[in-house]
Amino acid sequence: MTSTLEPVTAPRIPAQRRPAPPAATGRALPPRRLRSSRPDLLLCGVLLLAILVVQGWNISAYPAFSDDEGTYLAQAWAVQEGKGLAHYTYWYDHPPLGWIQLAVLTWIPAMLSPESMTVGTMRAVMLLISGISAVLVYVLGRRLALPRWAAGLGMALFGLSPLSVVLQREIFLDNLAVMWTLLAFTLAASPSRHLWHHFGAGMAAATAVLTKETMLLVLPALFVTAWRHSHRDTRKFALTGAVTACALIGFSYPLFALLKGELLPGAGHVSLWDGVKYQMTRPGSGFILDQGSGSWNVLQSWLYYDRILPLGGLAGALLLLATWRWSVTARALAGPALAVAVLAALALRPDGYLPAMYVIQALPFLALVLAGGAASVAHAVLRRGRSEREKRAAVYGRYALAGALALAACAYVGPRWYDGTRIAVTVDANAPYEAASRWMAEQVPDPARTRVLVDDAMWLDLVHAGYEPGLGVIWFYKADLDPAVTRTMPGGWRDIDYVVASPTVRRDAEDLPNVKAAIEHSRPVAVFGTGEDRIEIREVATAGGAR
Amino acid sequence: MLTSVFIAVVSLALFGMAAFTLWWQMHAWRTPEVLASTRFSSPDGGEQLSFSLLLPARHEQAVLDHTIQRLLESSHAAFEIIVIVGHDDPETTAVAEAAAARDPRVRVVVDTHEKKNKPKAMNTALPYCRGDVVGVFDAEDQVHPELLAHVEHAFRSTGADVVQGGVQLINFHSSWYSLRNCLEYFFWFRSRLHLHAQKGFIPLGGNTVFVRTDVLRAAGGWDPHCLAEDCDLGVRLSSAGKKVVVAYDSDMVTREETPGSLVSLLKQRTRWNQGFLQVYRKKDWKQLPTLRQRMLARYTLMTPFLQAFSGVVIPLNVAVAIFLDVPVGVAFITFLPAVTALVTFVFEVVGLHDFGKQYGLRVRLVHYLKLIAGGPFYQLLLAGAAIRAVWREQRGRSDWELTRHVGAHLDTADVRTREDVAA
Repeated sequence: MTSTLEPVTAPRIPAQRRPAPPAATGRALPPRRLRSSRPDLLLCGVLLLAILVVQGWNISAYPAFSDDEGTYLAQAWAVQEGKGLAHYTYWYDHPPLGWIQLAVLTWIPAMLSPESMTVGTMRAVMLLISGISAVLVYVLGRRLALPRWAAGLGMALFGLSPLSVVLQREIFLDNLAVMWTLLAFTLAASPSRHLWHHFGAGMAAATAVLTKETMLLVLPALFVTAWRHSHRDTRKFALTGAVTACALIGFSYPLFALLKGELLPGAGHVSLWDGVKYQMTRPGSGFILDQGSGSWNVLQSWLYYDRILPLGGLAGALLLLATWRWSVTARALAGPALAVAVLAALALRPDGYLPAMYVIQALPFLALVLAGGAASVAHAVLRRGRSEREKRAAVYGRYALAGALALAACAYVGPRWYDGTRIAVTVDANAPYEAASRWMAEQVPDPARTRVLVDDAMWLDLVHAGYEPGLGVIWFYKADLDPAVTRTMPGGWRDIDYVVASPTVRRDAEDLPNVKAAIEHSRPVAVFGTGEDRIEIREVATAGGAR
Repeated sequence: MLTSVFIAVVSLALFGMAAFTLWWQMHAWRTPEVLASTRFSSPDGGEQLSFSLLLPARHEQAVLDHTIQRLLESSHAAFEIIVIVGHDDPETTAVAEAAAARDPRVRVVVDTHEKKNKPKAMNTALPYCRGDVVGVFDAEDQVHPELLAHVEHAFRSTGADVVQGGVQLINFHSSWYSLRNCLEYFFWFRSRLHLHAQKGFIPLGGNTVFVRTDVLRAAGGWDPHCLAEDCDLGVRLSSAGKKVVVAYDSDMVTREETPGSLVSLLKQRTRWNQGFLQVYRKKDWKQLPTLRQRMLARYTLMTPFLQAFSGVVIPLNVAVAIFLDVPVGVAFITFLPAVTALVTFVFEVVGLHDFGKQYGLRVRLVHYLKLIAGGPFYQLLLAGAAIRAVWREQRGRSDWELTRHVGAHLDTADVRTREDVAA
């Protein structure tokens, strides 16, 4: 849309720009133009560079490939190849916008070199997403009236925490959704309070939700942010615009299902209804504070990488909520604090399903409230109760205290983050995967006529090696769950030639009869790695027989 | 394939149109600063300009006296009221003469044209104007006593050649179409006109418009053959580079009433549309200096017709998307114009709320429902008026079909409406 903002005409009306009547919110004013502020650009640029180096170095080797990464990238590949929204039947498990974006992002590299369309290589595009998100965290921090150093702190926490490094490297839809959510918040906090910025915030929020539906949870926090950053004279238009934009774009998903005739359940086709029902009724993973429950394990897996961001962020949110009445910073950060509160409350459901990626959507808000909390503390130490006539010694005392606090924080965080970062940039967790997929490519005589069960992460590798996508190289659980696949396996496990038994396959095989049988009736012909994490290539006993 | 491409192209064009219209319609609310700048700034006291207020009246003896009385209550020190009556209209003339006898600031000018219309009447009175600024009002207008002082301030503080004040239909409760009609005025004077002023191309309104007398005389007054002489004057003045300022204050607007029946609304709209067509064909707007201004002019003057077209095509388009077997991507594109129309709808609902707040009127749920339910029918009416205008213009019929007023906006004139009007 062409901007009609700048008046270009000869007759100009000088009295047309008048300051808006002040609203009685007493909000701290953010800087008008970040783009032309040299210190901001410099700080943000340096941090961005650090984040890109830390996240980018060794990105394909650590952490271990996750099944989900393979799933989404394979579906992005299907979109690129014009096979629809997935190479198996799309069954409304998630809205498809996430991997459609992935397809677009990986389009050019995949065109230049089709073999590069594998999880390990394409993790590189996540760097772009992380970079944009990190910059948005900084801009949002500034727009929420954080001082420069605090916004920088937020950006550093968001991009450099070992937990962030691990999770943001992976091809998760959540990372894309976080970027859109941050864009929505940044637009909602636009200093110009422009109607169409708020409208854009609604659009970005809807895009985030259609990328990963769990982003619905932070919409109330977005609304609060937009409310606080709109002017009372134009608020009703701005907020209605934002909500309308969000709703209309959000409705495109059911509309899409409707157009395909798959909105409601019926015989012989998948439906949006069933997809939503599946997600809403996923078996719970227990209470997060119950030692030994699934949720507790997930929490421990986060805290293993970093305690500072999740726990410190939570503490920051509590601090901000507690000091709501006195602290300008607390009120300015109401949106992020509310987001953290909502996400924490939901994680504390007695028996909810807590996926490992859940924390990703909380990372930017945790970082912002932790930085905001730090800014609040700094303000209290340096400025609270300070008068013009305060003794010089007292002022020095304040600065000494602030310096000591900062040093203590650095001393606490430094070693822990150093360890995490060192692991992230040196360890190769994916060597067995790479070796197994090489073996499958080189040692199997006739890939095009071989049927093999693999997990999602290796699937694309084997497609590039010449196996037939979908029915030749098979996502292992489809052999039990997808009628379109089981139909082609009248002999059950006998129609399979190989199983690449990765930890995921071995774990899930318990509930999948065909996969289980195929594993039981096979023997390992090659093993890569050792212990729990080993990958076995198993040849099914009747291979080459009943086909 | 060809169908798909065709549908996609039509949809995208409609989407562009609807999006631009929406963008402009919401101009005033873009930022709080823009909204603040649409208001009159407070006058500083020193009054130097004098006004000649033209009040053309034709068969309006019922409301004329009330209007003159209100105008005379103006706080401004230097103004005259020139009532223009027809030589064949003794009733109105009697009311006007009586008012002139009571107050020396009122004068009567008799228009003796055989075929009468508003521009001819005003051109007749133009030589008699003694003020520095000529203002135009209609015989049924309710004018705020402070308006002239504010207008004068706007002239002096901005150096404008033309000041357009706000006009607002108030009787939104009278019928389903008056509700939409009121809201149209609200968006036009509250918002869209300011954008036009800023862009340097503006079709002026028919009243509460003030022009420096020398500028008006130099421009040759109004075009007696144009059905939308107000729009034409604005286009001619702004194309000649004259500076136009628009100001809107809810307590300073001129209050009017909607046409009394659907048929008269249709006639009024037909006249305006035909007038817009005439202005378009006069090509004065081609003198505008920049391409963007000319595009804006072209688009604005064509709006009634584009609106009619889109009102018919958007529903058709959606039907095509649902019932014809087109690819999902194309189907999505066909929904774009409908989505934009929906957004417009939502903003209209919010606009109605704001309208109620600004004017202290109680807008009830039923009004919102009427607003929504009436939307498609109002579109039909607009489409009908647009088609009728083209038809009449083609047949060379350009006589005036005047709108009759019953005084529904005057609290005293229509007791039935009082309960709906808070204070």
